[in-house]
Amino acid sequence: MSAQDPQKLRDLGKRLDDAQAKRVVRNVRPPQSQMGIAGRFATELGAALLVGGALGWGLDWLFGHFNIHTRPLFIVVFFMLGAAAGLRNVMRAAKEINTEIAANPAPSVQDDEET
Amino acid sequence: MAMNPMEQFTIKPIVPLHIGGYDVSFTNQSLLMVIVAVAASLFLTFAMSKRALVPSRTQSMAEMSYEFVSNMINTSTGHDGLKFFPFVFTLFIFVLFSNFFGMIPGSFTVTSQIAVTLALASLVILTVIVTGFATHGIGFLKLFVPKAPFLLLLLLVPIEVISFLTRPISLSVRLFANMLAGHTLLQVFAGFVILLGGAGGVLSVLSIAPMALIVAIMLLEFLVAFLQAYVFAILTCIYLNEALHLHDHH
Repeated sequence: MSAQDPQKLRDLGKRLDDAQAKRVVRNVRPPQSQMGIAGRFATELGAALLVGGALGWGLDWLFGHFNIHTRPLFIVVFFMLGAAAGLRNVMRAAKEINTEIAANPAPSVQDDEET
Repeated sequence: MAMNPMEQFTIKPIVPLHIGGYDVSFTNQSLLMVIVAVAASLFLTFAMSKRALVPSRTQSMAEMSYEFVSNMINTSTGHDGLKFFPFVFTLFIFVLFSNFFGMIPGSFTVTSQIAVTLALASLVILTVIVTGFATHGIGFLKLFVPKAPFLLLLLLVPIEVISFLTRPISLSVRLFANMLAGHTLLQVFAGFVILLGGAGGVLSVLSIAPMALIVAIMLLEFLVAFLQAYVFAILTCIYLNEALHLHDHH
């Protein structure tokens, strides 16, 4: 055994530590781009409107079967509720993104990869 | 030839089959799904067949995907979410392989069909609902009741219910729209190359520009293919987390 070996081992240990540290950084979730965030908000809002409208339409259809004519009523009300739910979703998504950024404030300038 | 950018998404029957008035033909879509499922199983089985202590390249790829998903579940749902590992891992690998097989020129992107993504998302939401009722019983419905005065609840509960029902839609639309948009974009630029190339003269030389763009978009698409599989899996985890632990919802 030469005298250099402990030094070499220590170097190796340090390199391993460095590599491990880098790996942890890579393990966190991919950061969301502006484009991705915008797309997410749009789908959340749009999907809620769709679901609200569909529910209202379905209720109108159901009541129509029992000869209770509510036709435009439920679709109007549920469309508005859908809009509210959409805003709720967007606020929730924004909150998620905020806590995420607060959790790992990586200084990052991303390109427009989509999420 | 390939001038219609949406033509790549048409479903063509390979083996026509009609049972009880329903069209259940084996299509190019079904073929790709079979290929994806077989390729994923074969890859994971063969990669792990040696079970070496010091993994080979393929084995470490399989191990990395395992660790990746198990870390994802651990951080977003906690330790008791790990019982859903097989479910989340299968979803992740299926979506990932579908996206990547779709990147092969001339093949078919399974995840660019809303029928496929909506089916996957419905499966996720059904699992969430069943898990919620199994762990909390009727108390799972508290998910829809925020803390508010009673009169406001009349308004808020429907909103929360709609918000919950939105999830399968937004989950499926996001995956479907990303894959559809990316592949359409590639095809549109490919059309530019053909048009410019056939125009002759200086314009033919200019067709280099959209060609270079295709290469760039292709790279971006590979990133999107992975990212969308990841997003699908992590959202599944987040929804499962809500079903397992009702708190920290609001």
